[in-house]
Amino acid sequence: MTPGRDDAAVFTRIFDEHRNAVHAYFLGRVAEPELARDLVQETFLRAWRRLSELAPLPADSQRAWIFTVARNLAIDSYRAGAARRAAEAALRSQAATQETSVAGPHRQAEARERLARLDTAIGRLPEEQRVILTMATAGELTSSQIGEALGEPAGTVRYRLSQARKQLAAALDLEDEP
Amino acid sequence: MTSPARSDLDRLLDAWASARRLPDAEAELIRQAIVPAVPTLSGTWWSDFNDKISTAIARATVTPGPALAALP
Repeated sequence: MTPGRDDAAVFTRIFDEHRNAVHAYFLGRVAEPELARDLVQETFLRAWRRLSELAPLPADSQRAWIFTVARNLAIDSYRAGAARRAAEAALRSQAATQETSVAGPHRQAEARERLARLDTAIGRLPEEQRVILTMATAGELTSSQIGEALGEPAGTVRYRLSQARKQLAAALDLEDEP
Repeated sequence: MTSPARSDLDRLLDAWASARRLPDAEAELIRQAIVPAVPTLSGTWWSDFNDKISTAIARATVTPGPALAALP
Protein backbone atom coordinates (compact mmCIF):
# COMPACT_ATOMS: atom_id res chain seq x y z
CA MET A 1 0.00 0.00 0.00
CA THR A 2 1.27 3.40 -0.88
CA PRO A 3 -0.30 5.75 1.63
CA GLY A 4 -1.22 9.24 0.64
CA ARG A 5 -2.24 12.32 2.56
CA ASP A 6 -5.92 11.47 2.08
CA ASP A 7 -5.40 8.01 3.59
CA ALA A 8 -3.60 9.53 6.55
CA ALA A 9 -6.42 12.01 7.09
CA VAL A 10 -9.09 9.31 6.88
CA PHE A 11 -7.15 7.10 9.26
CA THR A 12 -6.59 9.93 11.72
CA ARG A 13 -10.31 10.65 11.84
CA ILE A 14 -11.08 6.98 12.54
CA PHE A 15 -8.26 6.77 15.08
CA ASP A 16 -9.42 9.88 16.95
CA GLU A 17 -13.00 8.69 16.99
CA HIS A 18 -12.32 5.26 18.43
CA ARG A 19 -9.02 5.38 20.29
CA ASN A 20 -10.47 6.15 23.72
CA ALA A 21 -13.04 3.38 23.46
CA VAL A 22 -10.49 0.84 22.28
CA HIS A 23 -8.06 1.84 25.01
CA ALA A 24 -10.83 1.60 27.62
CA TYR A 25 -11.70 -1.87 26.35
CA PHE A 26 -8.13 -3.08 26.72
CA LEU A 27 -7.81 -1.44 30.13
CA GLY A 28 -10.77 -3.52 31.23
CA ARG A 29 -9.42 -6.66 29.65
CA VAL A 30 -5.73 -6.56 30.46
CA ALA A 31 -5.39 -3.90 33.17
CA GLU A 32 -1.66 -3.40 32.59
CA PRO A 33 -1.35 0.09 31.02
CA GLU A 34 1.69 -0.70 28.86
CA LEU A 35 0.08 -3.80 27.43
CA ALA A 36 -3.19 -1.93 26.85
CA ARG A 37 -1.26 0.74 24.94
CA ASP A 38 0.54 -1.87 22.82
CA LEU A 39 -2.74 -3.56 21.99
CA VAL A 40 -4.29 -0.23 20.99
CA GLN A 41 -1.37 0.31 18.63
CA GLU A 42 -1.68 -3.18 17.15
CA THR A 43 -5.43 -2.76 16.66
CA PHE A 44 -5.02 0.48 14.75
CA LEU A 45 -2.03 -0.81 12.82
CA ARG A 46 -4.34 -3.49 11.44
CA ALA A 47 -6.95 -0.83 10.75
CA TRP A 48 -4.36 1.17 8.80
CA ARG A 49 -3.32 -1.86 6.76
CA ARG A 50 -6.96 -2.60 5.90
CA LEU A 51 -8.01 1.02 5.52
CA SER A 52 -9.45 0.47 2.05
CA GLU A 53 -11.82 -2.07 3.57
CA LEU A 54 -12.58 -0.11 6.74
CA ALA A 55 -12.92 3.46 5.48
CA PRO A 56 -16.05 3.04 3.33
CA LEU A 57 -18.02 1.46 6.19
CA PRO A 58 -20.57 3.52 8.16
CA ALA A 59 -19.48 4.64 11.64
CA ASP A 60 -21.24 1.85 13.55
CA SER A 61 -19.78 -0.78 11.26
CA GLN A 62 -16.34 0.75 11.62
CA ARG A 63 -16.67 0.40 15.41
CA ALA A 64 -17.78 -3.21 15.06
CA TRP A 65 -14.86 -3.91 12.69
CA ILE A 66 -12.32 -2.34 15.02
CA PHE A 67 -13.65 -4.15 18.08
CA THR A 68 -13.62 -7.47 16.26
CA VAL A 69 -9.89 -6.91 15.80
CA ALA A 70 -9.54 -5.74 19.41
CA ARG A 71 -11.36 -8.78 20.82
CA ASN A 72 -9.20 -11.14 18.77
CA LEU A 73 -6.07 -9.41 19.96
CA ALA A 74 -7.23 -9.63 23.58
CA ILE A 75 -7.85 -13.37 23.12
CA ASP A 76 -4.41 -13.81 21.56
CA SER A 77 -2.93 -11.86 24.43
CA TYR A 78 -4.62 -14.13 26.95
CA ARG A 79 -3.34 -17.16 25.10
CA ALA A 80 0.14 -15.78 25.27
CA GLY A 81 -0.31 -15.45 28.99
CA ALA A 82 0.79 -11.83 29.11
CA ALA A 83 -2.56 -10.37 30.02
CA ARG A 84 -3.79 -12.93 32.50
CA ARG A 85 -0.68 -12.51 34.59
CA ALA A 86 -1.22 -8.81 35.01
CA ALA A 87 -4.97 -8.45 34.92
CA GLU A 88 -6.35 -8.38 38.44
CA ALA A 89 -3.21 -7.52 40.36
CA ALA A 90 -2.23 -4.50 38.30
CA LEU A 91 -5.48 -2.63 38.74
CA ARG A 92 -5.53 -3.44 42.45
CA SER A 93 -2.02 -2.21 43.04
CA GLN A 94 -2.06 0.98 40.99
CA ALA A 95 -2.63 4.18 42.84
CA ALA A 96 -4.48 6.71 40.78
CA THR A 97 -2.20 9.40 39.49
CA GLN A 98 -4.68 12.13 38.91
CA GLU A 99 -6.86 13.57 41.61
CA THR A 100 -10.03 15.53 41.49
CA SER A 101 -9.96 19.28 41.77
CA VAL A 102 -9.60 19.87 45.47
CA ALA A 103 -8.15 22.52 47.71
CA GLY A 104 -5.36 21.68 50.12
CA PRO A 105 -3.03 18.74 50.65
CA HIS A 106 -5.34 16.98 53.10
CA ARG A 107 -8.19 16.88 50.61
CA GLN A 108 -5.80 15.87 47.82
CA ALA A 109 -4.59 12.95 49.92
CA GLU A 110 -8.19 12.04 50.65
CA ALA A 111 -9.07 12.18 46.94
CA ARG A 112 -6.06 10.01 46.09
CA GLU A 113 -7.10 7.52 48.72
CA ARG A 114 -10.64 7.33 47.37
CA LEU A 115 -9.38 6.87 43.81
CA ALA A 116 -7.01 4.15 44.96
CA ARG A 117 -9.90 2.39 46.69
CA LEU A 118 -11.99 2.72 43.54
CA ASP A 119 -9.11 1.35 41.48
CA THR A 120 -8.90 -1.65 43.77
CA ALA A 121 -12.65 -2.18 43.66
CA ILE A 122 -12.69 -2.01 39.84
CA GLY A 123 -9.88 -4.53 39.71
CA ARG A 124 -11.97 -6.94 41.77
CA LEU A 125 -14.99 -6.76 39.47
CA PRO A 126 -15.71 -9.76 37.26
CA GLU A 127 -14.07 -9.16 33.90
CA GLU A 128 -17.32 -8.83 31.92
CA GLN A 129 -18.43 -6.07 34.30
CA ARG A 130 -15.03 -4.37 34.41
CA VAL A 131 -14.76 -4.18 30.62
CA ILE A 132 -18.20 -2.63 30.30
CA LEU A 133 -17.52 -0.18 33.12
CA THR A 134 -14.24 1.01 31.61
CA MET A 135 -15.83 1.35 28.16
CA ALA A 136 -18.70 3.38 29.64
CA THR A 137 -16.46 5.63 31.74
CA ALA A 138 -13.01 5.98 30.14
CA GLY A 139 -14.38 5.09 26.68
CA GLU A 140 -17.49 7.28 26.98
CA LEU A 141 -19.63 4.82 25.03
CA THR A 142 -23.36 4.31 25.50
CA SER A 143 -24.78 0.92 26.42
CA SER A 144 -25.93 0.45 22.83
CA GLN A 145 -22.49 1.27 21.46
CA ILE A 146 -20.84 -1.09 23.94
CA GLY A 147 -23.33 -3.78 22.96
CA GLU A 148 -22.52 -3.30 19.27
CA ALA A 149 -18.81 -3.35 19.96
CA LEU A 150 -18.91 -6.50 22.09
CA GLY A 151 -21.70 -8.30 20.29
CA GLU A 152 -23.93 -8.23 23.39
CA PRO A 153 -27.53 -7.01 23.76
CA ALA A 154 -27.72 -3.47 25.15
CA GLY A 155 -29.93 -4.77 27.98
CA THR A 156 -27.18 -7.15 29.08
CA VAL A 157 -24.70 -4.28 29.00
CA ARG A 158 -26.98 -2.11 31.15
CA TYR A 159 -27.52 -4.95 33.63
CA ARG A 160 -23.78 -5.62 33.99
CA LEU A 161 -23.08 -1.91 34.33
CA SER A 162 -25.68 -1.68 37.05
CA GLN A 163 -24.19 -4.69 38.85
CA ALA A 164 -20.73 -3.17 38.60
CA ARG A 165 -21.93 0.12 40.07
CA LYS A 166 -23.62 -1.68 42.95
CA GLN A 167 -20.44 -3.55 43.76
CA LEU A 168 -18.38 -0.37 43.61
CA ALA A 169 -20.84 1.53 45.77
CA ALA A 170 -20.74 -1.28 48.33
CA ALA A 171 -16.94 -1.40 48.29
CA LEU A 172 -16.70 2.36 48.78
CA ASP A 173 -19.49 2.57 51.36
CA LEU A 174 -21.67 4.59 49.03
CA GLU A 175 -25.33 4.11 48.28
CA ASP A 176 -25.90 3.50 44.60
CA GLU A 177 -29.69 3.67 44.52
CA PRO A 178 -32.03 5.58 46.84
CA MET B 1 -33.83 10.72 40.19
CA THR B 2 -30.18 10.83 41.10
CA SER B 3 -29.26 10.52 44.74
CA PRO B 4 -26.32 12.50 46.20
CA ALA B 5 -24.47 9.24 46.89
CA ARG B 6 -24.90 8.16 43.29
CA SER B 7 -23.59 11.50 42.09
CA ASP B 8 -20.60 10.99 44.33
CA LEU B 9 -19.91 7.64 42.67
CA ASP B 10 -20.28 9.26 39.26
CA ARG B 11 -17.82 12.00 40.17
CA LEU B 12 -15.37 9.45 41.48
CA LEU B 13 -15.72 7.36 38.31
CA ASP B 14 -15.21 10.48 36.18
CA ALA B 15 -11.97 11.24 38.04
CA TRP B 16 -10.86 7.63 37.69
CA ALA B 17 -11.65 7.63 33.96
CA SER B 18 -9.72 10.88 33.45
CA ALA B 19 -6.69 9.38 35.15
CA ARG B 20 -6.89 6.19 33.12
CA ARG B 21 -7.76 7.59 29.70
CA LEU B 22 -5.07 7.49 27.02
CA PRO B 23 -3.36 10.90 27.10
CA ASP B 24 -3.51 12.85 23.84
CA ALA B 25 0.29 13.00 23.58
CA GLU B 26 0.54 9.22 23.93
CA ALA B 27 -2.22 8.72 21.38
CA GLU B 28 -0.35 10.95 18.94
CA LEU B 29 2.80 8.87 19.40
CA ILE B 30 0.80 5.75 18.56
CA ARG B 31 -0.70 7.42 15.50
CA GLN B 32 2.69 8.57 14.29
CA ALA B 33 4.11 5.08 14.76
CA ILE B 34 1.38 3.70 12.51
CA VAL B 35 1.06 6.34 9.81
CA PRO B 36 4.31 7.03 8.01
CA ALA B 37 4.98 10.68 7.42
CA VAL B 38 3.69 11.78 4.06
CA PRO B 39 6.11 14.29 2.53
CA THR B 40 4.54 17.60 1.71
CA LEU B 41 5.56 19.83 -1.19
CA SER B 42 6.73 23.33 -0.51
CA GLY B 43 4.50 26.14 -1.75
CA THR B 44 7.17 27.35 -4.19
CA TRP B 45 8.15 23.99 -5.63
CA TRP B 46 6.54 24.69 -9.03
CA SER B 47 8.31 28.05 -9.59
CA ASP B 48 11.58 26.56 -8.27
CA PHE B 49 11.16 23.68 -10.69
CA ASN B 50 10.46 26.03 -13.60
CA ASP B 51 13.50 28.15 -12.73
CA LYS B 52 15.75 25.10 -12.81
CA ILE B 53 14.32 23.91 -16.13
CA SER B 54 14.68 27.38 -17.68
CA THR B 55 18.28 27.64 -16.52
CA ALA B 56 19.10 24.20 -17.92
CA ILE B 57 17.53 25.02 -21.28
CA ALA B 58 19.33 28.36 -21.49
CA ARG B 59 22.66 26.71 -20.72
CA ALA B 60 22.09 23.95 -23.28
CA THR B 61 21.15 26.29 -26.08
CA VAL B 62 23.63 29.13 -25.64
CA THR B 63 26.08 29.45 -28.49
CA PRO B 64 29.61 28.58 -27.32
CA GLY B 65 32.26 31.31 -27.38
CA PRO B 66 34.51 29.64 -30.07
CA ALA B 67 31.48 29.27 -32.31
CA LEU B 68 30.68 32.94 -31.94
CA ALA B 69 34.30 33.85 -32.67
CA ALA B 70 34.25 31.77 -35.85
CA LEU B 71 31.31 33.64 -37.20
CA PRO B 72 32.11 36.12 -39.96
